[in-house]
Amino acid sequence: MQLLYSLRGAVWILVYLLFILAPLFALLAGSHPPTRDFWTEFSVALGYSGLAMMGLQFGLTARFRYVTEPWGEDVIYHFHRQISLIAVGLVITHPLILVAVKPELLAPSNMLEAPLSAHLALLSIFSVIALVVTALWRAALNLKYETWHLTHIVLAVVAITAGVVHMVGSSFYLVDPWKQSLWIGLTIFWIGLLLYVRIVKPLFMLRRPYRVSEVRQERGDTTTLVMQPDGHPGFHFNPGQFGWLMVWGSPFKITGHPFSFSSSAAAKGGRVEMSIRNLGDFTKEIQRVPVGKRVYLDGPYGAFTIGNPADMHVLIAGGVGVTPMMSMIRTLADRGDKRPVILLYGSKDRESITFCEELEVLKARLDLTVVHVLANPPAGWTGEQGFINAEMFKRHLPPPYSDHEYFICGPGVMMDAIEKALGEMGVPMAKYHSERYSFV
Amino acid sequence: MRRVFADRLAFATGVIVILMLILFALSRVAG
Repeated sequence: MQLLYSLRGAVWILVYLLFILAPLFALLAGSHPPTRDFWTEFSVALGYSGLAMMGLQFGLTARFRYVTEPWGEDVIYHFHRQISLIAVGLVITHPLILVAVKPELLAPSNMLEAPLSAHLALLSIFSVIALVVTALWRAALNLKYETWHLTHIVLAVVAITAGVVHMVGSSFYLVDPWKQSLWIGLTIFWIGLLLYVRIVKPLFMLRRPYRVSEVRQERGDTTTLVMQPDGHPGFHFNPGQFGWLMVWGSPFKITGHPFSFSSSAAAKGGRVEMSIRNLGDFTKEIQRVPVGKRVYLDGPYGAFTIGNPADMHVLIAGGVGVTPMMSMIRTLADRGDKRPVILLYGSKDRESITFCEELEVLKARLDLTVVHVLANPPAGWTGEQGFINAEMFKRHLPPPYSDHEYFICGPGVMMDAIEKALGEMGVPMAKYHSERYSFV
Repeated sequence: MRRVFADRLAFATGVIVILMLILFALSRVAG
């Protein structure tokens, strides 16, 4: 299975490179414009491929399950973020080289008489700069997630459309009609990917709504939404996976948020649960969701799921990061799976241990050990305290540590520290799996 | 580490793309 996923991953990388480079090298076919110096040619190639990379970003975020499965959505989104920096670098370097080769382009007379396509190039470049600034510093700019998301899409469409019109308008390479058609077709394909996410998928979700059948308050300011498929059989998910939840409004609105499923994957009738902690943003409204409310789910996604039955499973959760672990534990209990499981569970204090009582009950049905780690322990607490670290692994896990399979979910700082500690303990990367709350 | 993997994947893709762009420019100059 792992080999198949690796092969599929390699094929998708080749397809990705093909989509970026083939349209550029196609320009070398047919009739050729006069040859210019190396730097001018290189600069133009930067512009073409930078634009192709930006257009293909719509494909990376289109949530095609077949594409994302080999890596997991978190890797795809992080790749989307990193590759966008490279694409923007290419797009910005394109005019810088042109100006360095021909400084007279900056002369006031040339600037004033510049054709429309040059103005569109500027619009495209300013849009990509705004895209990067708002994506990297969203929190510092105090932008709400929904506002940022909408701005992100609008800026991306403006940047690509202006870039393509600039390219066709300049038309140095696109002298043959088939070359123009190729690049215009490619642009239609990119925009089509966006329309797929924003129109086709929501239409599909509209026909497969869910109904909130129960709203359960949990410890730790967390609310569990129990959802039943309304007029359809629902979907099958693997424990640890997540879905995009749309509570308020239709699926066409940009109001979707990713949450892990916390329920057993063996639940009957397509029932799914999401347990959501009040973090002060969109999540504070969850406790006010009325029973009977119609909601929409897009999923399942993610590669974070239980592994080899022969391995001890070490689940490391921080705060609400326990939700995918809870799905794994509940599923193993429902399946009667007695593989050894250790849950290292970090919480702020005893009152905020979500699912505390249920975990105690589940111990009787599983080979499950729960180690609570409290940042603020009460007086007389004899358990672990502080934050989960390598010393705790050594106290609670039997060696050799590289034989176990590790699953980590929690705040970014905690996950970075634990991944580092596991690396230092000689645990290979293939043996641990991480699920991060935030993609952006 | 999964992020590190994504970082490396993006970096490798960027390097391949830039090398291919140099190849493109060279092939244009070479005529």
